[in-house]
Amino acid sequence: MTYSSEVPIERAGIIELITTSAQDVLQMRDGAGEQLPVLGEETRLIGQGAILDSLGLVSLIVEVEQRLSDELGINLILADERAMSQKRSPFRSIGALADYICDLIAEQGAHA
Amino acid sequence: MSIAWLLERMAGWQEQPAMVWRDQPTTYGDLLLRVEEWKGELDRYGMKEGQVVAIDGDYSPNSVAVLLALIDRGAIVVPLTQAAAAHREEFLEIAQVEEVIALDENDQHVINRRPVVADHPFIQQLRQLGDPGLVLFSSGSTGKSKAALHNFARLLEKFKVPRNKMVTLTFLLLDHIGGLNTLFYTLSNGGTVVSVRSRDPDVVCRAIERHRVELLPTSPTFLNLLLISEAYKRHDLSSLKRITYGTEVMPESTLLRIHEVFPDVQLQQTYGLSELGILRSKSRDNRSLWVKIGGEGFQIKVVDGILWVKAESAMLGYLNAPSPFDEEGWMNTGDMVEVDGEYVRILGRQSEIINVGGQKVYPAEVESVLLQMENVRDAVVLGEKNPITGNIVTARVNLKEPEDPRAFKQRMHAFCRERLAAYKIPVKVEILTQEQYNARYKRMRRADALESRE
Repeated sequence: MTYSSEVPIERAGIIELITTSAQDVLQMRDGAGEQLPVLGEETRLIGQGAILDSLGLVSLIVEVEQRLSDELGINLILADERAMSQKRSPFRSIGALADYICDLIAEQGAHA
Repeated sequence: MSIAWLLERMAGWQEQPAMVWRDQPTTYGDLLLRVEEWKGELDRYGMKEGQVVAIDGDYSPNSVAVLLALIDRGAIVVPLTQAAAAHREEFLEIAQVEEVIALDENDQHVINRRPVVADHPFIQQLRQLGDPGLVLFSSGSTGKSKAALHNFARLLEKFKVPRNKMVTLTFLLLDHIGGLNTLFYTLSNGGTVVSVRSRDPDVVCRAIERHRVELLPTSPTFLNLLLISEAYKRHDLSSLKRITYGTEVMPESTLLRIHEVFPDVQLQQTYGLSELGILRSKSRDNRSLWVKIGGEGFQIKVVDGILWVKAESAMLGYLNAPSPFDEEGWMNTGDMVEVDGEYVRILGRQSEIINVGGQKVYPAEVESVLLQMENVRDAVVLGEKNPITGNIVTARVNLKEPEDPRAFKQRMHAFCRERLAAYKIPVKVEILTQEQYNARYKRMRRADALESRE
């Protein structure tokens, strides 16, 4: 595990990381000319009113994993069977994804 | 014996160069003398008909002479080269090799007897016929090498038909069906095989210039390296008449650029398999990936988009795997193709197709686009499992100059968006510093390819 508990990971930071990633993905997929939606905790990632289709969601998850690794030194696999079998999908909104990431980090910390 | 016809033919070209090794020519007369010397050496050593003998070495006067002497003796030949060094012991084991003739840098040989008695039923079958054999290893998509045993006499049958006499560079190695094809094609038509010490573009181009090479049989990966290195600008390659490419799918962008650089050179796709030999082929034109394949002794059919081949000269079977042939002798090649009348277009290995949410992505198509991007030196596209879409498209890219990964990814998206459907655009991009092709200049697309590099 590369996560070090010396640096506390705050949920707000994770939200920002996901938001930045989502902006990047939206920009890459739609081109720079499009008006980007305002993103926040409530922004839906799948289902009705979602800002991304399934390919976009996959791109977002890859991007978030990459940034967690590059910027925070945390290596997580977000899209796996575990995530898919959660009662409520961790991918339903930016906030839910941030919660899921914080849970995974806490778990890693506990095992570290 | 089975190659008496070839040796007779070669005797008619005594003074002409059969090969060039370390820039020195060896005439057909010299080569035949060496074959005679080897026959004596094999006698002295007590090597008998039907023995399984490995030749460990690259192209050289001695490796070719001993190969011919062994075929003449009815031996079962197992060519090994540096490219397979990592699998050497495994290959010796699988092929039940009894004798190893190793040739060093200076073409000096050592013979080692292994405490093995080859008794595989296919080997015994060949011995009963008194025919020579050939064992070739194919890498197989699962990574486990399969040993194909051929009746060498039958494999050589097709070379009896006279064809063009050409000066040919031996790009593919002696343990590869394409490399052997080049050798026997050249020798049976009075041509010259030019061997090179390395497959570096500058080394290859220098040899083409110096020995006025006419035919360059190679791989798309090498042609891409040739373009990027611009080695063709530093040498006079005006002797080239034909470039053939095979062993992997040609990215269209590479083909078009090669045609631009060599407008007067015929560009010809080849198709063959370790199990079946090399088929006759004819590209629709120099800029086309559509190719007619088959020829005498071969039948082809396409079932559910997959190419099947039936060959008269097919191997007896694998030494270490079940037969890949159906009751009628057809073999599923595992290559996905499109069909247009008599022509096929090879799309890629069925095992390498990436299924993204039910839609098929052929790595070669995406690679072809990535290779057109500025600052991209090489690109390999492969699938990675993903629970949302089944798989995602991953690109492993080598850059010419360092570039910020995030900036590259943005640029790649913008470039691909105009050229590929959204689901084909790589979701994950890895920028690599190590090369992604193997010793045979073939791109490696398996997820674990980089760890298992030969």
